[in-house]
Amino acid sequence: MRAGLIASLAGHSAILVWGLIAFPDAESFSVPQVESLPVDLIPVEEFTQLRLGERTAEIREVAAIAPSEAETEEPPQPADKPGESQVQQPTPPTPSPEPEPTPTPEPEPVAEPEPAPEPEPAPAPEPVPAAEPEPAPEPAPQQEAAPTPQPIVTSATPRSKPKPPRRAPEPPKDDFDSTEIAALLNKVEPATQQGNASEEPAALGSRQGAQNIRMSQSELDALRGQVAQCWNPPVGAVGAEDLKVRVRFSLSQNGQVSSSPEVLNSNGNPAFGAASSSAVRAIMRCQPYSLPIAKYEAWQEVIINFDPREMLGG
Amino acid sequence: METLVQSTLAAPEGDISFFSLFWQAHIVVKIVMVGLLVSSVWCWAIIVDKVMLVGRTRRQMSRFETVFWSGQSLEELYGTLHNRVNHSMAALFVAAMREWKRSHEGPRPAIGSLQQRIDRVMDVTIQREAERLESRLLILATVGSAAPFIGLFGTVWGIMTAFQAIAASESTNLAVVAPGIAEALFATALGLLAAIPAVIAYNKFASDVGKAVARMEGFADEFSAILSRQIDERG
Repeated sequence: MRAGLIASLAGHSAILVWGLIAFPDAESFSVPQVESLPVDLIPVEEFTQLRLGERTAEIREVAAIAPSEAETEEPPQPADKPGESQVQQPTPPTPSPEPEPTPTPEPEPVAEPEPAPEPEPAPAPEPVPAAEPEPAPEPAPQQEAAPTPQPIVTSATPRSKPKPPRRAPEPPKDDFDSTEIAALLNKVEPATQQGNASEEPAALGSRQGAQNIRMSQSELDALRGQVAQCWNPPVGAVGAEDLKVRVRFSLSQNGQVSSSPEVLNSNGNPAFGAASSSAVRAIMRCQPYSLPIAKYEAWQEVIINFDPREMLGG
Repeated sequence: METLVQSTLAAPEGDISFFSLFWQAHIVVKIVMVGLLVSSVWCWAIIVDKVMLVGRTRRQMSRFETVFWSGQSLEELYGTLHNRVNHSMAALFVAAMREWKRSHEGPRPAIGSLQQRIDRVMDVTIQREAERLESRLLILATVGSAAPFIGLFGTVWGIMTAFQAIAASESTNLAVVAPGIAEALFATALGLLAAIPAVIAYNKFASDVGKAVARMEGFADEFSAILSRQIDERG
């Protein structure tokens, strides 16, 4: 036994020594050094709001940047121009002579807006507040002077941007009977401009630009949760899972439903009628909705999808 | 951060030689590693011992058989062998002859149940020889089956502590994770290193011992037949 033990010990130590010599260290993989990129995580709202701003502040900025860019480069223009088109009105005073001659080359970027803005410099001082008081004077001047109504246009146009076609007329315009027509017309135009430019998201610095405000996810969830609480989904119906109902309704600033909810989709399922009416009932029962008044523009009109699968919590 | 990593997991830059893997390990893993190393040494000692024993036994049996069947007188053969320490077949032969001699020595030969006595004596001798050949084989079997588990235990423990250290260092960098896991896996490697030769050797020696015992039993039967003929002729 002793011989075996000695042989074993000798063998093990020999292997150990050999291992130390033959495999000193594992060779490290050669990994190319990758430079790390600093990444900031910011909520989408913050990003969109970067493009929005106070009316006064943005006007200055645009004035400085816009003329140079407009003349020299085409690509940057689209992004800035949405702002320019409207902002230029105040700014032009100083550079006004220059842009006007240039208009011929410029037409491509913004083209249409300029003709209107030119006269506006005068009204500019009257900014947003002007919209409301003006109604009285406007009715008369409508036909007479183009410049006077235009100030309204400037203020009104931005608001209409998001919901231009349908909503615009209803809430604010009740007060202004006569001006409404002009406002409407004007509103439509900017909307089309925006559509053409497509970079309009930048919008003006004005408060109207705030229309681009997005509801944050938590606010949307709060709204959704509130509606879900009031909703009795059609549980028993055949194929109840597929009974998705898409409802559009508008809200007033106090959170009340201001128009009767409108069901947007349809479905062959016989139970769809019950499902859609249950959805509408849920919307009516849950008012008033508590949403941040500051973002009224964003939730003035709401479209909710009632999906039994999701809202039932799966 | 870097210093924290250094302290919780030594040398994250990856010193992976045998010794550093051992010294970095947790105390439990160290014990497991040392235990496995010792068992490996012990296993190989047994293996070397058994290889020599089995070979020697086989040679002795062959030599004895040639002598036995050479036509030499059994008395003479007994005379040369009975004073020595004998193993395997020689031990069988000596045990049977001693019983034979004793039965004939007294004033009244006890020949009646001599045949059974001789058989029994040879059976006992075979058992003793088999026991001698099989001794410590059980250790090989135990190491062969248990060492992987012991190594696995060391690995699990090492990885456990490694993860705790990683959690403490709050870094998921692979350079932090790797050394701990490497050192833990070293325990399993040692377990397998000890177990694999042990299992192979156990199977080989078990069959070798079985063959040797069968050979001795065959010889015992033959020798018993020869003695029985002698008894009947004398009786």
